[in-house]
Amino acid sequence: MVSLTIDGKAVSVPKGTTILEAAKQVEIEIPTLCWLQKVSPTGACRICAVEIEGIDRTMTACNTPVKEAIVVTTQSEKLTRIRKQIMELILVNHPLDCPVCDAAGECELQNCCYDLGVNRQEFAAEDVNPPTINHWPLIQQVPSRCVMCEKCVKVCHEVVGANSLFVNDKGDKAFIDKNLASCEFCGNCVAVCPTGTMISKPFKFKARPWALRKVPSVCTYCPSQCQIDINVQGNEVFRITSDDQGTTNNGNLCIGGYFGYGYINSSKRLTSPSRDGKPVSWDVALTSVASEIEKIRQESGADAIAGLASPRLTNEENYLFQKLFRVAIGTNNIDSEARFGALRALSALDKGLGLRGASNLINVIGSADAVLVFGADPTAEAPAVDWQIQNAVRRKDGKLVIANMRRIKLSQFANSQLSYKPGSEIALANGLGRLLVNRGLIDEAYLNRIVANLDEMKDQLASVDLDQVVEATGLPLAELEAAADLLGKAANVAIVFGADITKSALGTAKSAAIANLAILSGALRGQGGLFPLDEKGNIQGLLDMGVCPEKLPGFQNYEQHKAKFAKAWNCALPSGGQDAEGILQGIEAGKIRFLYLAATNPQSFPNSNRWMQALAKVEVLVVQDILPTEVTRLAHIVLPGASFAEKGGSVTSLDQRVRSLERAIRPVGESREDWDIFAELFGRLSKTPLTFSRSSILTELSTLTSLYGDVCFTGTDRHRPCLKQPYRPADKSLNYQLISASDEAQGLQLLSGKSASHFGTTSTWASGPLAVEAEGYIQINAEDAKSAGVADGDSLKLTSTTGSTVGKVKITSTLPQGLLFAPYNFSALGIQKLIPDGNNRTSVQVAKV
Amino acid sequence: MAQVTFSSWGRQVIDNRQGGDAEVEIAKKKLPISFNGEKNIAAFMGWDGLILHDPRVDVVAMAAEYAKRVQEDFCCAKCSPGKKGTKVMQDTLARIIDGKGAEQDLATLENVAELLQNCKCTLCMTSAVPVLDTIKNFRDDYLAYIRGERKPKANVDYKVKLTAPCQDKCPAHIDIPAYIEAIKELRYDESLAIIRESMPLPAVCGRVCPHPCETACRRANVDDSVNIMVLKRTASEYERLHNIQPPMLPKAKKDKKIAIVGAGPAGLAAAYYLALEGYPCTIYEALPEGFGGGMIAVGIPAYRMPRHILQRDIDIISAMGVEIIYDTRVGKDISLIELKQKFDAVLLAPGAHRSKPMGVEGEDEGYAGFLAGGIDFLREAYMGKPTGMGKRVCVVGGGNTAIDCVRVALREGAEDSILLYRRTRKEMPADVWEVDGADDEGVQFEFLVLPKKIVVDDKRQVIGVECVRMELGEPDDSGRRRPQPVEGSEFIVECDTLIPAIGQDPDLSFITEETGIEITRWNTVVTKYVPLKSAAGRDLNDTMGNPLSRILLTDMDGVFASGDAEIGPLTVVACVGNAHRAAKVIQRYLEEGQAYLTDDDFHEDILSHLGVYDKNEEVPWLDAVARFNQHEIHGKERASKGNYNEVELGFSDSEAVQEAERCLRCYRVSMIAV
Repeated sequence: MVSLTIDGKAVSVPKGTTILEAAKQVEIEIPTLCWLQKVSPTGACRICAVEIEGIDRTMTACNTPVKEAIVVTTQSEKLTRIRKQIMELILVNHPLDCPVCDAAGECELQNCCYDLGVNRQEFAAEDVNPPTINHWPLIQQVPSRCVMCEKCVKVCHEVVGANSLFVNDKGDKAFIDKNLASCEFCGNCVAVCPTGTMISKPFKFKARPWALRKVPSVCTYCPSQCQIDINVQGNEVFRITSDDQGTTNNGNLCIGGYFGYGYINSSKRLTSPSRDGKPVSWDVALTSVASEIEKIRQESGADAIAGLASPRLTNEENYLFQKLFRVAIGTNNIDSEARFGALRALSALDKGLGLRGASNLINVIGSADAVLVFGADPTAEAPAVDWQIQNAVRRKDGKLVIANMRRIKLSQFANSQLSYKPGSEIALANGLGRLLVNRGLIDEAYLNRIVANLDEMKDQLASVDLDQVVEATGLPLAELEAAADLLGKAANVAIVFGADITKSALGTAKSAAIANLAILSGALRGQGGLFPLDEKGNIQGLLDMGVCPEKLPGFQNYEQHKAKFAKAWNCALPSGGQDAEGILQGIEAGKIRFLYLAATNPQSFPNSNRWMQALAKVEVLVVQDILPTEVTRLAHIVLPGASFAEKGGSVTSLDQRVRSLERAIRPVGESREDWDIFAELFGRLSKTPLTFSRSSILTELSTLTSLYGDVCFTGTDRHRPCLKQPYRPADKSLNYQLISASDEAQGLQLLSGKSASHFGTTSTWASGPLAVEAEGYIQINAEDAKSAGVADGDSLKLTSTTGSTVGKVKITSTLPQGLLFAPYNFSALGIQKLIPDGNNRTSVQVAKV
Repeated sequence: MAQVTFSSWGRQVIDNRQGGDAEVEIAKKKLPISFNGEKNIAAFMGWDGLILHDPRVDVVAMAAEYAKRVQEDFCCAKCSPGKKGTKVMQDTLARIIDGKGAEQDLATLENVAELLQNCKCTLCMTSAVPVLDTIKNFRDDYLAYIRGERKPKANVDYKVKLTAPCQDKCPAHIDIPAYIEAIKELRYDESLAIIRESMPLPAVCGRVCPHPCETACRRANVDDSVNIMVLKRTASEYERLHNIQPPMLPKAKKDKKIAIVGAGPAGLAAAYYLALEGYPCTIYEALPEGFGGGMIAVGIPAYRMPRHILQRDIDIISAMGVEIIYDTRVGKDISLIELKQKFDAVLLAPGAHRSKPMGVEGEDEGYAGFLAGGIDFLREAYMGKPTGMGKRVCVVGGGNTAIDCVRVALREGAEDSILLYRRTRKEMPADVWEVDGADDEGVQFEFLVLPKKIVVDDKRQVIGVECVRMELGEPDDSGRRRPQPVEGSEFIVECDTLIPAIGQDPDLSFITEETGIEITRWNTVVTKYVPLKSAAGRDLNDTMGNPLSRILLTDMDGVFASGDAEIGPLTVVACVGNAHRAAKVIQRYLEEGQAYLTDDDFHEDILSHLGVYDKNEEVPWLDAVARFNQHEIHGKERASKGNYNEVELGFSDSEAVQEAERCLRCYRVSMIAV
């Protein structure tokens, strides 16, 4: 500890603390303008100048570390004069357009001037500021208002890692410029700008900040579940903001969080129930649904009815959904898109590790000594994980290994990029495991203690043939060894894996291979972690609630535990139950006659053609959604649900934190909160109207499951993220799973995945992300483009065994030869038509159009 | 007339405007009379004041121009007082020059100058110094402008240059504050790009540079210098450890081509910069493939400069289109004349690889155990050849090569490794940390001894060396006390191997008489230069005694020289700086038919002669963070037989950022009116 005196007050702080931070501890406020806690100190504004006894100049408090026994003065006539005059300099040629400036009311420059009593101008200079920059999508830059604090540059570079903004030119002409190619349009530069320099175009001139009501809630675009404030006026969402203080995301947002809200008040929203394409009242719509159910149940039994729920729904809604089907309808034919990804990771992790999701909080990634990102693009799938990885590897000397067929944004920070051949994930994971052993990088004592099947593990590892691994993955042994060393020498290892693994064929086996690697690398210990990513907002909550035929809420085996639930619910529970694949086959076979789609769009499912044909075929299709799609067009009954901004409820993040949504606006038009729709249907069908409240659902959950530890939804804690029960594997509880399989690729491959600018299909209704990425595209390596005879922007026809589509070509260096990539988010491109069942990759033929 | 009309340099005002002939020491000794051999320096304005030679210089106009250049060309805009303050300063001065000023403007300028003291770095801060000096001492000139009595003269020729003490002191003139700033901001790629603008061997000079820059670091005036060298290593290691492709893109290929003799630091550096400009370069290297790098390879052991990391820097240069023909000695396998005929320009950069004789009785006898020389020993050990070394090894000398020899001897399996030096540890020319490193590894030192005679047994095998004790007498030319033998103090140091390592010379036997290229008596290549004289009448020379501003063209048209063979045996960084200039001169020669120096070259030389660093300057700053030194492997094991693993381990990135934060960013602007 270092002891010093500030304005006569004694204070002791840890070594390395700045004078500014030390002063805060004794409640001395030193004025700042350019200081921003979440980035490195810039020392640009010089407003925080303080005097230190014996030092014949002022020092800036924000970036001067304390020293033993120094005597600091933060207020003096001299300092006041300096601060005021520097502010006057900053204000030279600052435009006087405050009345129409977007920052008015929340301008830190204004506040700083006011606090310092800057009320005159002694200095003058020719006005040289460059003109306003208007050509960037979503963001306008007004250089004349810029105070060169560099907060935007630093947040862009240090936190987001886009490194898009930079200071251009010299002297008074200097301005913040942007390299558009690397911009992620996350809006963090706008958020941190203390003045009206960086402006959100969608928000500009729309509302005055002081007229907005800030409703604390959670962004549900991805499972990071960043904490946000929904800024509303009337029944309209005007912008999304997030506080640096007190949020798990430090106020950082991505393009989805910051600019993706446009769909909420979209004029295209479904605002009224409809039957056969015609608007009807809720009563008519719900009566129709209930009577159709009754009718089919009588004619064909309850198993002719099926439903798919959604990670867009809250925990409570998913809970009600499964209860509605199992209790009120009497079928276990329920599933979700988790079947094509997240559920595979979950079952592999559950089987091997007793783990149902991530093993730790995502902040442990931020302090890991080594991070392995395997078959994931965190920037697209869960941006908060991207920021944490950067925290570890860019600020805290952590090492980064990226195993990915493509180069991703994070590749630039990687110490090792393992660009493996498509389909060789298991070989790679096994090979890395074997190398950890070979190179003496495993903790034998730990493994002896924790692994249940030690001998099997050893045998399996001994049987890994490294030559075959090299052959299968296409990676030189030296590269594999280097990667194994990076992981093996680290004390705390975090492993992140995602869609390339879980959504691929053999997704369960590949997840199991990664679970094995987690055991071997010690990622399941203390400050390590294993993080399966699934890009959908409340996928964890959906899984927790048992929306699949094999599990009841709390991951309880359906057949084993159904008696307990039947007793609690005072009913008999159905047997069997079809999963998504079974439901699809059931519809095709005419056995399933009724399908209920709750906030889910099969256009984004693999082999979407097959799904769309089934939807056209099914006798009764009920679609509960918020926006009109090809699926709602096929529906017999459409029930308009609500967006996250229009409902209360809880959601669970990828790292097991349970957070609350707050209803910020009324559901638009006649639409209703989704849980409300399920509850009413439940009442109508069971004829025993139940009252549902969040607390009653939580009470039920805590009685029937052991999911939640200290979940707290009431009082002032309402918006505090709460943790589920932490993962603590017992001794001899980890199972090394015996896996050897591969799905080697033949010929040109098409990989489908998530765009970094879009979220599901919802964001394709939001003007923000559309301004950056208006339509789907096909990424292709320059060599492959040459072979196909296409140039950037040309149209290319892709054909697989299941379908074909035409899209615009984007030539990229991020793909190896032989691999194409296209985002699945765009229904118009419809890339999922080409993807076989349960997969994310296919062989394709290409032809120039 | 006095040499200097007025000077405020060094905060000491000497005013000879009303007659008087007070001398200004620095102007007399440090500055040349002429800027470039043709035009005289009329006035010099900079961070420490104004030196006015020619009373006709319009000091007010010069101050206005100075402020303008600071604001428009150099101000980084990254702090408020700097960005806005220098703009106000510029515009206020411009207004005065324009005849629209008021006396109040002078007070404003003084006020702004005071505010500039709060700047983030010293660029804008020090720019206020000369401006204030002019306001204070040339007030009547200002008032004449303000009253409309004076108009500026058109077309005054000002030469302007941005510098910093460290950058000036670095023989390669790397923009050190910029690359440190980039590290501070976690922009390692940018940092390395800045380094490469002046240093194409960053991995090398991040490890083995004697870092003269650190002796001119203003942070030392607060506590201790910034660890500039290891920060350079950090930037280069970031690229290597992240497998990042170096971003350099050479310009389109040009048709004139260059031959370079020697793949050492000078040859490689010149090839790098010429290749960037699109010139095809062919380097002829006497050693076989795998041993490129010249003295960096064969003179610096792998525990200081790991071979694979050096090779990466070489490979990067090769990948830019530079062809290296190994195993080809110019003068033996191909003649210089032939090169001259085949190429449009030739650069001689053969280095200094020939050991100097020691002058000890018996050294010409061919005794077993008496090795040819330190540099030969290092080369053979490096190349994995038998060195002829035994178990008890004596190395004679006090330079870095001698230290490398005793440390390599341990790694080659010597049981005793003994250094014999005729003065004391304090006078050793070797870098202190190298001597400490040897100490750490168990090298034995015999100071104040002079070998006189090699002692051999009847099989002509060395069994010892007879030495005489020395004592230190009066200081010699180098300022070190001259060692004198103590009579009758002869004694024998037992050893089976004796290695003389008292210095190297270039081997210039390949430069035949027919080339007409003159060679100095120190065995370096004579190159053309622009003679610059100080007011005191002395020729301006560099630290090696060479003329200050050399064009690096030899007596043979189209043949240039660089590196140790031109400068005299010095350092990697000196060779790189020298070769960078050679590359620029060669480019001018090829494109304009004339080899010459630019204003910027002259300005650079003038500043380096003047010195930008002032070790006596009071630098007010809180010394809260001490210098951070890199991690190092300690103990004798690091020098065990066959262990050439790197001893120094550099910084982690976060340590580098912390150390970078200590930099005071001491930029300053120099302006010369000619």
